[in-house]
Amino acid sequence: MKYLPLIWSGLWRKPGRTILIFLQVSVAFALFGVLQGLKTGVAHAVDVARADLLIVHSRLSSIAQPLPLGLLEQIRTVPGVKVAIPVELTDGTYQKPDQGIGIVAVSPEPDWPSAFTYTIAPAYVAAFRKSRTAMLVKDSVAQKYGWKVGDHIPLQLAVEQRNGSNGWAFDVVGTFTDSDIGGGRYIVLVHYPYFDEARLLQKGTVNHFNLAVSDPKLANRVADAIDARFANSSHETKTESLREMAQSSLQRIGDFDFLIRAVVGAVLVALLFATTTMMVQSVHERTPELAVVKTVGFGDRAVFLLVLAEALAVFLAGAVCGLMLATLVLPFAARFVPGLSMPGVVIIIGLALGALVALVSAAIPAALAARLKVVTALGGHRAA
Amino acid sequence: MNFIRQFVALLRLSLSSLTSRAGAVLTIIIGVTCAVGVLVSMLAMGSGARRQVLAGVREDRVVVNSHGVRGIQSSIPRDAADTVRDLPGIKKGSDGKPIVEFESVVPIEARRRVTGTQIFFPLIGITGAPFSDADPDMHLTGGRLFQPGLHELIASNPCVRQFTAFGIGDKRAIGGVDWTIVGHFDEGDTQQCIVLADAEILMSTFHNNTYTQATATLQSPAAYAVLQSALESNPTLHLEVQHEREAREEGIRLLDNLLNFAAYFVGSIMAIGATLGAVNSLYSIVDARRREIATLRAIGFGSAPVAAAVLCESLLLALPGALLGVLLARALFHRMAVSPFGFSFLLDVTPGLAVIGVAWALAMGLIGGLLPALRAARVPVTTALRAT
Repeated sequence: MKYLPLIWSGLWRKPGRTILIFLQVSVAFALFGVLQGLKTGVAHAVDVARADLLIVHSRLSSIAQPLPLGLLEQIRTVPGVKVAIPVELTDGTYQKPDQGIGIVAVSPEPDWPSAFTYTIAPAYVAAFRKSRTAMLVKDSVAQKYGWKVGDHIPLQLAVEQRNGSNGWAFDVVGTFTDSDIGGGRYIVLVHYPYFDEARLLQKGTVNHFNLAVSDPKLANRVADAIDARFANSSHETKTESLREMAQSSLQRIGDFDFLIRAVVGAVLVALLFATTTMMVQSVHERTPELAVVKTVGFGDRAVFLLVLAEALAVFLAGAVCGLMLATLVLPFAARFVPGLSMPGVVIIIGLALGALVALVSAAIPAALAARLKVVTALGGHRAA
Repeated sequence: MNFIRQFVALLRLSLSSLTSRAGAVLTIIIGVTCAVGVLVSMLAMGSGARRQVLAGVREDRVVVNSHGVRGIQSSIPRDAADTVRDLPGIKKGSDGKPIVEFESVVPIEARRRVTGTQIFFPLIGITGAPFSDADPDMHLTGGRLFQPGLHELIASNPCVRQFTAFGIGDKRAIGGVDWTIVGHFDEGDTQQCIVLADAEILMSTFHNNTYTQATATLQSPAAYAVLQSALESNPTLHLEVQHEREAREEGIRLLDNLLNFAAYFVGSIMAIGATLGAVNSLYSIVDARRREIATLRAIGFGSAPVAAAVLCESLLLALPGALLGVLLARALFHRMAVSPFGFSFLLDVTPGLAVIGVAWALAMGLIGGLLPALRAARVPVTTALRAT
């Protein structure tokens, strides 16, 4: 502890240099935090994804191949299925072509919210059931456009009405939140029966069915039973839990692992080099002072540790600052890349990495300082 | 005039003593190299994706989609096909028939060779003969073409490399029917897996009565307006026309924006780090030369040429870093195959990106050199000379 003032005064010998190194370390670890947060955040999202919610979609594609609504009755008879709700998806815009809104049409049957990751107030659920043109809007949509309960909202949908028009209108009856981070930022819920009746094409089809199973342990067995039931039919299905879907999206960004590693590697190499030369420079300039420190009785090892401790202090302060910055920036970056988050493990890895880079970059200057010969250093070799 | 003479003398003086400050110089160069290398490599993803998507685009070709809908959600009813063929402005082939090809696209799942990951790729049913178009990049490399009316497929070579069960003779169950792979083809540099089949048999397998989109060749690029107004004046069709280039750019825009955003985001942060390193190094260079600078000022050099020389030195040190970064990016990543979000393409380090990299480096040098240049200009002559 008694060495702390010594380390402190060493750090502030040249404040400008220390602050610049500190900033450089902060910037490097802010980037590290964001990139690593991208990777670890998605892994974290898989862990929290619900295993008891299943999605039944076409085996051909989860994106665009519709399933007939008629499958619903058969799905409901599979043992273990608690709730099964047909879901249709389409795109829409509000007022301007660049204000996109995802339309999720669901059948408001009893207990339907239990088959989704949405959280909806019971009063809103009741209101939604009552009117065919009712619409529940996600909180982020309501915020962005200032929609309130009772508003009548015209939307342009990618789907035509029977009269050939793409203009639709729905009444806002409430808001909801979504615990699934991959669920889309700007989505609204509308009535499937009304939507299907009013549209021109592809009547009687759905994009997928949402299921809740009575016991998460049954999820795999229910999924296999459903897929077996429609095997070799013209509408083969593929049933997956939200957990499994999160896992496959994790694998899809697998290619980014290499990229993230390469960028983090380049950042650390540049940082290592910059700090090493700065520390060497600093030790050179302080040759007389270090000689005095040795003269008053500090051993080689103590001087070595002193220089290391200085580097460690700057690096850890910089790493903490950078990681905090990353934590602050992430909510903005998450707008572009869904699933971004900063679990504690990233911070621990970052601090460990900061300490490691500090020790490696300070090793040469510290060894130089430790090997100083007091007599020659005091004898006029100043500011080499 | 005097300014320039002093500036040149100062610059030569400082450049001649660079070797004695190898540490500081290398810090600047390596910092800039890393920042530029990362920026250019990441931008190469966007340019590679664009290059692949826009390869083979022809100005006289147009794409017809259903109104307001893009890609796989678009649909053209089969009974509207003849109306589309008879639209004005479309070029007639040597057989006298309009050159219009319809596509029916169905997404199919495949498994990655190495990881076993599931991925979707488009199975495209086409109405014309494949490769008949004047597209020299597209040619069969093995097997034969599919026969109309049979459940046969031909797959591009990237499919064979990336996914399982695409060998000639392999069978794939699609829509409850076994389809046989009968041929392999190449399409230029394209890394995207494409599988072609006969549109009629594909549509009957999926009980589908609509094509996804149509591609037509115009009599001349000017005929676009004729075709567009003909489509607009026919309310029963609900179709709209786009230039092929426009349609393809629209398809890639989201990915392109995302990749470029990531490149500039990461590149900017690395540039800030490299600039900070450069500031620190230049400060140490200026500090080490305090007496030298003070002496020069004492014998009549102005402070402006001193500052200009430091700034110029900073720019000159950033340049080798920029070139090194671009060269490294080109050597390591040019034509490397990547597939972010399941879309495969080759990275493309273009001359345009090299220019961006150099400009980026010069900005770093300029910003990094400003403060040290000011400090050099403000070296107090008397105290600096007196200091030992």
